[in-house]
Amino acid sequence: MPRLPPVQALWRHKLGSSPANGHSSFLPQIRKLVVEYCDVWPSSHNTRTFLLNHAQTLAANNPHAEVVVRQRPFKEPILRAFYANNRDKVIGLNGLEVTQIEKKAQLLLDSSGAKIKALKKPVESSTPAARGIYSNLHAQRPSL
Amino acid sequence: MGARSTTRLFSTTARKLASPPSISTSHLPKFPPKESLYVKDREIPTTPFDPEVWASLQPPPPSSLSAFANRIGLGGVLCESKEDVDVVLQACTHPSFLHIWQHHNPNGGKTPQTNGQLAAIGNSLMGLFATEWLRATYPYLPTRVLKAAVTAHVGPLTCANVAQEMGATPLLRWHRMRETPNKPALLHSDALASIPRSLTALVYQRRSLPSARQFVQSYFLSREVDIRSMIKFADPKKALLEMINKLQRERPKSRLLKETGRFSNAPVFVVGIYSGEEEIGQGFGSSLKMAEYRAAEDALHRVYLTRVPSHLVQIPSQTFPLGLGDVFRQAPEQAYTAPELVQSEIMYASSGKSFS
Repeated sequence: MPRLPPVQALWRHKLGSSPANGHSSFLPQIRKLVVEYCDVWPSSHNTRTFLLNHAQTLAANNPHAEVVVRQRPFKEPILRAFYANNRDKVIGLNGLEVTQIEKKAQLLLDSSGAKIKALKKPVESSTPAARGIYSNLHAQRPSL
Repeated sequence: MGARSTTRLFSTTARKLASPPSISTSHLPKFPPKESLYVKDREIPTTPFDPEVWASLQPPPPSSLSAFANRIGLGGVLCESKEDVDVVLQACTHPSFLHIWQHHNPNGGKTPQTNGQLAAIGNSLMGLFATEWLRATYPYLPTRVLKAAVTAHVGPLTCANVAQEMGATPLLRWHRMRETPNKPALLHSDALASIPRSLTALVYQRRSLPSARQFVQSYFLSREVDIRSMIKFADPKKALLEMINKLQRERPKSRLLKETGRFSNAPVFVVGIYSGEEEIGQGFGSSLKMAEYRAAEDALHRVYLTRVPSHLVQIPSQTFPLGLGDVFRQAPEQAYTAPELVQSEIMYASSGKSFS
């Protein structure tokens, strides 16, 4: 009997697992939402209104996200969100109304921070096909 | 030049971030720090002020700590009041942080609390929960595979990944330690891994063992682990023969079921292994030997990966009483029906080191 090739041993530091966010419990991916505005320029007027009227309720309704207000003197206002994958997303608020700013804030709160990529396949899954892969060797032979 | 290089080492390793650290200062009691201010004609010379090092020594703002606690669903458990985030900070402070803190606070002061003991308790608890759940869910799994599966579920790599997914990377306070003759080097992933362990211990301390088990179940035991790839054999036919003898079945016989392309450059053979009339495994391959090997592996996988449905899983630690408190209090036990013992594992390749 020829000797079979040795099996690779399991290395402890390589033994890991894949995340399954949402299967048992859900971890919101947003860490911090920073509203940067200017006190002087009129482009930040709507942002200032948003901060005075809506920011506190937004922070209270989303205790998982740290809401930070920051000065951005003599620049256009922005919303910057930091995510658990160490990426950040920035949305410019110049020209937006207060309701639109609220919507942009909600968009950032809902996002995962992953890079937006074009989907090339119709279905993306980590599990094999539910209906199975066709095998012509196992298919029923036609009977006459 | 020597002092400069040490400070740079401290500053770059105390907080590992992609961009240079920028901290918020609204929560600090004193800002700007006294040592950063220029004093004319100072008699006693002081070390030059390094803002990066100073920044890495400051605690993260309490809002980020309470947001972290709420993100992982432990807002009510860890933060009893809005201002009480000390325990969250303790969970995020590795014992190595004391080195850098004491270096810059030689006069002492309030030493920061670290998560060394909490991580040790949490590690033990996580090992317990993972082992009993895996044994109850996969009763036929070989011991070496069970140990590897426990490591995959609650080991250092997974703990570090879970900490990153929770968003604890900017909250971690640690210091990179060089390798010594007594201890290996401390890496960023080791420091990160201490955070979920400390959280488990805190859930146990502040609530109960069943709550800690629920925490570990939702964040660790529900993760996807490929156990099939851990079950490897050097000679699966030999292992299968031993298993068949143990189960007192008929001797395994492999039969060629389907074939195509023999003597071509892309043959496919489908081999089934039978114990009497029952097919116990099937495999395909580009050679007869390969297909038979895979069939034997398939037969062994079908035994080893037998899974108990989650609603029928009975774990020993469920006997601990429900309600707040630790495991030592006197309270009525919960129900537990011991599962029937399955046959012991085969001796072939049962040692943790050998696979042949």
